[in-house]
Amino acid sequence: MSHTLHGILDPTGAGPAQVQAPPVADRARRPPSLAGLRVGLLDNTKHNALLFLRAVGDLLTTEHGAREVSIVETKQNFSVPVDRSIVDRYREHCDVVITGVGDCGSCSAAAVADGIAFERAGLPAAVVLTDAFDITGRAMAQVQGDADYEWVETEHPMAVLTEDEVRARARTLVSEIVGRLTMAEAA
Amino acid sequence: MDAGQNGHQRVDATMAQAAIEYAYDQGWSDGLPLVPATRDLVDRFLAAGGRPADEVIGHLQQVDRTVTVELLAINAAMAGCRPEYFPVVLAAWRALTKERATSGGGWQSTSGPAPLVIVNGAIRTELGINHSGGVFGPGFRPNATIGRAIGLTVRNAYGIRPHELEQATQGLPGRWSIVVAENEEESPWPPLAEDLGVPGDAVTTTLLRTCEFVDNRHTSDPEQLLADFADTIGRSGAWIFQHAGAGVVLCPEHAQLLARAGYSRRDVARWLVEHSGRTTAQLQAVGKDDAGQNGVRFPGQGGDPERFQPTLADPDRVIVAVAGSRNAGISMVVRYFADWSGTPVPVIGPEAAATTHDGTIPEGALHG
Repeated sequence: MSHTLHGILDPTGAGPAQVQAPPVADRARRPPSLAGLRVGLLDNTKHNALLFLRAVGDLLTTEHGAREVSIVETKQNFSVPVDRSIVDRYREHCDVVITGVGDCGSCSAAAVADGIAFERAGLPAAVVLTDAFDITGRAMAQVQGDADYEWVETEHPMAVLTEDEVRARARTLVSEIVGRLTMAEAA
Repeated sequence: MDAGQNGHQRVDATMAQAAIEYAYDQGWSDGLPLVPATRDLVDRFLAAGGRPADEVIGHLQQVDRTVTVELLAINAAMAGCRPEYFPVVLAAWRALTKERATSGGGWQSTSGPAPLVIVNGAIRTELGINHSGGVFGPGFRPNATIGRAIGLTVRNAYGIRPHELEQATQGLPGRWSIVVAENEEESPWPPLAEDLGVPGDAVTTTLLRTCEFVDNRHTSDPEQLLADFADTIGRSGAWIFQHAGAGVVLCPEHAQLLARAGYSRRDVARWLVEHSGRTTAQLQAVGKDDAGQNGVRFPGQGGDPERFQPTLADPDRVIVAVAGSRNAGISMVVRYFADWSGTPVPVIGPEAAATTHDGTIPEGALHG
């Protein structure tokens, strides 16, 4: 800034904290593969999201060695990040989580916050957002103190796809999702 | 400022310009110049509001940011409000926090919704809040700045800025300036807030998706007039879920025509709920004929093509207000972003505010 002025009040309430502590990148430890692991799905209620997540879950169990899809929940409020009790339930019932689909203003930001919360609780997570929401996803990652958090991006829009198209989309993304959840490189 | 030769105060314009640029540099502005908020100015707002500066009046969970009375006062000062507007700003903010959509993702939404603030009571004329000609338009300081204070608070205190956490696809014109006083003088009905149980100075709010005019000047038949509103309310483009929410801000001419024909506010709401909608065939033509109870509308299998699907669900959730000039039959359909709680909030002066527990008057005191 080129100048400062004394006596003008700050309307943000954030003060110097807004400048932010350096990002804390808490990542859960990655398993070598999904072999024998339990998969959790968290649906954010957006159109086609649950269909997509279930299709991914099927592919992980039939083609990538996951044992089962062991927990599927739907968010009560897609705008608000998961709370402690939801994170604890997933920690108890699964080994990795897939969530999304970030396909709106507030739900995309919240999905990024969800991914960060799962990682901090020790659960590898793959968050799926459409590519129209990369800026708001990044803004929320910064708010959560994890500016470099990475998610899985897919082409916008998702809500208009037919059932077959959603399954095809799942197949396109599954290797990247496996890559995000494990130490394996995305094919 | 310093005193000039003839006793007038002289403004240091360069300093004023520097203060304006400073606020832009901080990212505080909605695009227009801001008034620099100084301690003494904000203290006058706090005195007018009568509430403790550190009282928390809003918290947005997903960003973990908080609004205090002080932050609302700073943003109101920056918006160009006068200190005596602050009780209205406080009431509008409190009323908005009672609306479900504002605690969810409303402020971040692709819809980019706007607060609608309707003011009742003597405070309208005391503050000069426009209730007549051009009521949705510019030209009046309280109408322009009270809404702007809300917008700046969302931007600055919650940190929800366009292109970042705010994701409006197109947004809507006048997003932070839809503040109207009801035209109580020319309305045939009791004030809106009074009808809802809050007499005197009060604000009624919801989040709007948009406003749409209905111009109907040449019928004297109340049902023809209401049918014109119902057509706009029922249009498919605005319809996302099973039902949609809407109300009307009637011009005095339309309100008086309906009242002369025997319609109460409630009768108008009931008529609109009954008649606004589309048939399944009409909705099928636009891919919106099917919907789960809480789900989005989508292309379905049709069903009985002649079945009438009503837009509105509940007459208690239809705002019927009166504002504007009596010079033409032009009214506004106000279309909600989500819903409307139907709960006005009283505007209270500093003395009364200081004696209440949380800045709101207990319900018994109003109805008793």
